[in-house]
Amino acid sequence: MQFGIFSVGDVTTDPTTGRTPSEGERIDAMVRIALKAEEVGLDVFATGEHHNPPFVPSSPTTMLGYIAARTERLVLSTATTLITTNDPVKIAEDYAMLQHLAGGRVDLMMGRGNTGPVYPWFGQDIRQGVPLAVENYHLLHRLWREDVVNWEGKFRTPLQGFTSTPRPLDGVPPFVWHGSIRSPEIAEQAAYYGDGFFHNNIFWPAEHTKRMVDLYRRRYEHYGHGRADQAIVGLGGQVFMRRNSQDAVREFRPYFDNAPVYGHGPSLEDFTRETPLTVGSPQQVIDRTLRFREDFGDYQRQLFLMDHAGLPLKTVLEQLDLLGEEVVPVLRREFAAGRPAHVPDAPTHAGLLAAEQDRAALQTAEEEK
Amino acid sequence: MTEPRITAVSAGLSVPSSTRLLADRLTGAADRALRERGAAPAAEAVELRDHAHALTDNLLTGFPSGDLKAAVDAASRADGLIAVTPIFNASYSGLFKTFFDVLEEGALQGTPVLIAATGGTPRHSLALEHALRPMFAYLRAVTVPTAVYAASEDWGAGGAAHGGLASRIDRAAGEFADLVAGRSAAARPDPYDEPVPFERLLSGE
Repeated sequence: MQFGIFSVGDVTTDPTTGRTPSEGERIDAMVRIALKAEEVGLDVFATGEHHNPPFVPSSPTTMLGYIAARTERLVLSTATTLITTNDPVKIAEDYAMLQHLAGGRVDLMMGRGNTGPVYPWFGQDIRQGVPLAVENYHLLHRLWREDVVNWEGKFRTPLQGFTSTPRPLDGVPPFVWHGSIRSPEIAEQAAYYGDGFFHNNIFWPAEHTKRMVDLYRRRYEHYGHGRADQAIVGLGGQVFMRRNSQDAVREFRPYFDNAPVYGHGPSLEDFTRETPLTVGSPQQVIDRTLRFREDFGDYQRQLFLMDHAGLPLKTVLEQLDLLGEEVVPVLRREFAAGRPAHVPDAPTHAGLLAAEQDRAALQTAEEEK
Repeated sequence: MTEPRITAVSAGLSVPSSTRLLADRLTGAADRALRERGAAPAAEAVELRDHAHALTDNLLTGFPSGDLKAAVDAASRADGLIAVTPIFNASYSGLFKTFFDVLEEGALQGTPVLIAATGGTPRHSLALEHALRPMFAYLRAVTVPTAVYAASEDWGAGGAAHGGLASRIDRAAGEFADLVAGRSAAARPDPYDEPVPFERLLSGE
């Protein structure tokens, strides 16, 4: 099982000091957070993609390429890549390039985005969100698997004799997750391709998340990729920790109360009860996260949202120390215990390459017979 | 015998409120009218004042928390809805609108709705026609032809006389009962149980 963090990349005023970081400071903070993730033994860093203030990460492969050069083990991912408004040809090229530079430590998560004006800014129509996600991803899927693509669709100019370069590293496309909070079409899409399904699991009660995950698992089996409990599931989570849980609540409350997403709405206590948000001791985070398995089955990737709502970098780095040193080692051990042998690990480049080589060897053996 | 679920949503702010009083009168009349038509209705009252904070939270977080979830479900699953609001500034109250703003898209599609309102003066009665009825039309609900407005003075007026409050309540309840009783209980497909197969999504149908 993989553990990591995902960042929205918001520039938010620290409500306790009134200080707002510059874009440059926030970009630098995201990089330092990613490096820290590797240092404390986490597996994955994923960045959001946004094209409007107050968010900085508009160019994920630039940022991830830089982080790739300064890390050795960390898997670099996105949360999410806008499959609706990006040209799928450019996604194919950008992430294949990143895959080469990062030695295969790359996967990505497709999403539709939640900012209405981004669609018209990029020449698209938000009412076509799902059809765009379906058609664009289908083209992207082909571009990474077919050397020469002839293609015609509704949303982009046709392609004749097109080869996306560079070709994926070792001929193995980056693994793809599809993220959606509540669109059954996206769970269906992930299941159809045998790709991963990620639920951000942060803003909604578990019963909503469970409906999406259950649908994806059932349809994964329907499309013949394996059993439902072998489908590739990723979940988000949101935590704030101090050794003493009262200290965590006291310190996090002003950030919660003023957070851009849910601030000035429900109380911290209400939101903690209704959603997976956990504010407390490392042990409370461990207990709550372990319960995800009861709700959603054994899964492959757990990402935490740690740097948002104006939390200062120093605090976020302290949080990552706690996460890496006290929480994740226990989660690794506990999630491994009782995990059925047929439940796969999260796909990695090495694993996908080995599977591809096995398949090729089998095919050669068949042909020789 | 059918057992239609009737949900009465009222948005009065005081306790007790004349809005709730009107909702209860309509619920009672609808219950009698449905029984006359051979049905055995089960009625549930949703008092929006009780969910005022949760409704604001829902606007900000996107999901109904706690008891509001049950209220939202009661409205969404109803076979017939009675919706009563005080008239503020020539329209429904903000609390009333907020409740219908947080329902899932299509939640009231095809649902018979009896619209009613209260106000201090009868001069605001047409707010039912220019504010409530268009909103429910937009939600693809089926509004009952008679909308019931109760001004303060109606509570002291003779009820039985033609055109009085009691006769308006009975006429609206009868129309409502006809719609509810005549409605086939068409279950809406659950997109999580029955997803659109991907080949169809891919073909752009």
